[in-house]
Amino acid sequence: MVAIRTRGLSKRYSGGLFGSDVTAVSDLDLTVERGEVYGFLGPNGAGKSTTIDMLLNYSYPTEGTVEIFGENIQENPEVIDRRVGVVPEGYGLYDRLSGRRNLEFAIEWQNASDDPAHLLARVGLDADDADRPVGDYSKGMTQRLALAMALVDDPDLLVLDEPSSGLDPNGIRRLRDIIREEASDGTTVFFSSHVLSQVEAVCDRVGILDDGELVAVDTVAGLRETAGASSTLTLTMENPPSPDVVRSDGVSAVDVRGKQLRVTCADARAKAEIIARLVERGHNPIDVGSEEASLSEIFGDYVRGGSAHDDGETATERNTPQQEVAT
Amino acid sequence: MTLSQVAQKDFEDAVRSRMVWGIIGVFVGFMGFVMLVALSATDGADALGDAALGLTAQLSQLFVPLVALVVGYMAVVGERRSGSLRVLLTYPHSRRDIVFGKLFGRSAVIAIALGVGSTLSLLVATMLVAAPDIGNTTGLIGSIVLFGVAFTGVAVGISASVGTRGRAMALAIGSLLVFLLVWDAAAAGVYAAVTGSLPGLEVEAWYFLLKRLSPVGAFRAIADGFVSGRLGSLFQVGLEQIPQGTTPEQRRLANRVPGALPFYLTNWFAGLTLVAWGVVPAVFGYVRFSQSDI
Repeated sequence: MVAIRTRGLSKRYSGGLFGSDVTAVSDLDLTVERGEVYGFLGPNGAGKSTTIDMLLNYSYPTEGTVEIFGENIQENPEVIDRRVGVVPEGYGLYDRLSGRRNLEFAIEWQNASDDPAHLLARVGLDADDADRPVGDYSKGMTQRLALAMALVDDPDLLVLDEPSSGLDPNGIRRLRDIIREEASDGTTVFFSSHVLSQVEAVCDRVGILDDGELVAVDTVAGLRETAGASSTLTLTMENPPSPDVVRSDGVSAVDVRGKQLRVTCADARAKAEIIARLVERGHNPIDVGSEEASLSEIFGDYVRGGSAHDDGETATERNTPQQEVAT
Repeated sequence: MTLSQVAQKDFEDAVRSRMVWGIIGVFVGFMGFVMLVALSATDGADALGDAALGLTAQLSQLFVPLVALVVGYMAVVGERRSGSLRVLLTYPHSRRDIVFGKLFGRSAVIAIALGVGSTLSLLVATMLVAAPDIGNTTGLIGSIVLFGVAFTGVAVGISASVGTRGRAMALAIGSLLVFLLVWDAAAAGVYAAVTGSLPGLEVEAWYFLLKRLSPVGAFRAIADGFVSGRLGSLFQVGLEQIPQGTTPEQRRLANRVPGALPFYLTNWFAGLTLVAWGVVPAVFGYVRFSQSDI
């Protein structure tokens, strides 16, 4: 069973009399399986929000179709109302009303029986804050409330457009937990982001959109493999042994620089084995560091068509958390 | 079901924002002030009550469209700009529910505000000067409310058909100018183009139909019956060539058209015209809204 399927989905904006037409999304064939967590990744302006708008009937495709749970949304728009929970881009809540009242409206509209207190607790909005008008909320609090409203009536599909924007690290962790809980509950989660570490942390599959086209779809591990990305183990030792000691199947390169032994592994599982072998032979490391090739460089490959990930200069920015793709 | 939810929420929001109270206050204050100034310059105590009615009707031609457009022009486009529309649409509200829910909600706001406002201002006039005829008073208040609902339809239609606040405002102001200033002149122009001369004292019946097809003209036609012929156009464009010295009797509608009054110059037809203005622009607005990307 498929949760989302688009066929030949395109959106072109007319440039008017003197302008040229702009293609925001071009011939997109997207398939999101039921129950999976799908990360929709791409730099700003790649067409992510345009695509999501078309999935939700906010805007209409120039060409192509969208099916949600097997129903064509242009023929049966109710499927969105009934089964999809959404945190859209550029949403607004009722500023004069309290957070709780906004949530109560959502429950009433959906004709659901959710307990507002329970939903507020899930997203981590405390009761005092819930009684204040939404106009006084910070971006992060608004985002939590919007998420609570999307969770009303336990949707079968959760569509989140840049859900982590404005959230503090705590909020991001909670968002991740909620996504995992929902997924284990059988809910399909489709979310877009330009923040790579989040996509990497929770997604079963990732689709990379660039300039309106889907340039790659795979698991995080699969993308890593395709791009030939590797992980590096850095061992600091009083007397580094000869490189031959650590050479084995999963190791692609060994490099000794002063007191540092850098081992590049094609397979991340080789790392533990290397450490075990060194300790066994009496070479106790003073410090151990490990770097995983993040999606960032893989992503860079896809959207820029280059292969800049293998030189030493980019290595320093590899694992910066929250790293954002250039806009 | 969801249409009534949207309407109810919209109405509650308007009450909470004290919009209704503001309109009532302004209506009573404005009307009361102008009425007192005008009445103090009039003599003949017997006619004072009826003069108050006439003045209310006269000023309503400007005031009611203004209020209805101000209350309605942001109804849909406001939620579109703030993004709350995107939230509303993910619940079981269709775009149709939203446009027509807003139409009903804002119409209720306008109807209540104008009904209460005009009742209060006439009550003030009664206490300060003289009591107008009760039947005429009720009729006039009813026609003011209907007039307000008609312009709410225009406002919500405008609001649904545009994507920005600026455009909504431009169209609202534009429609006000068209209905108050341009329409009557255009009707006279059409008459001159067809018959070869500007409308005089005796004219073809369809000329009055043209004038009454605008909401302002339709209101004037209905309200005129409650103020004993005192109601003229708010802005006299002077395109009708009526000789000096004609009596009010000669200027009555029935004496200006040849033969019996056709059905389209009856009051109920003018009432239907107002109802149509309350609905048709909103339907056009909905059609545009349903096809646009939000």
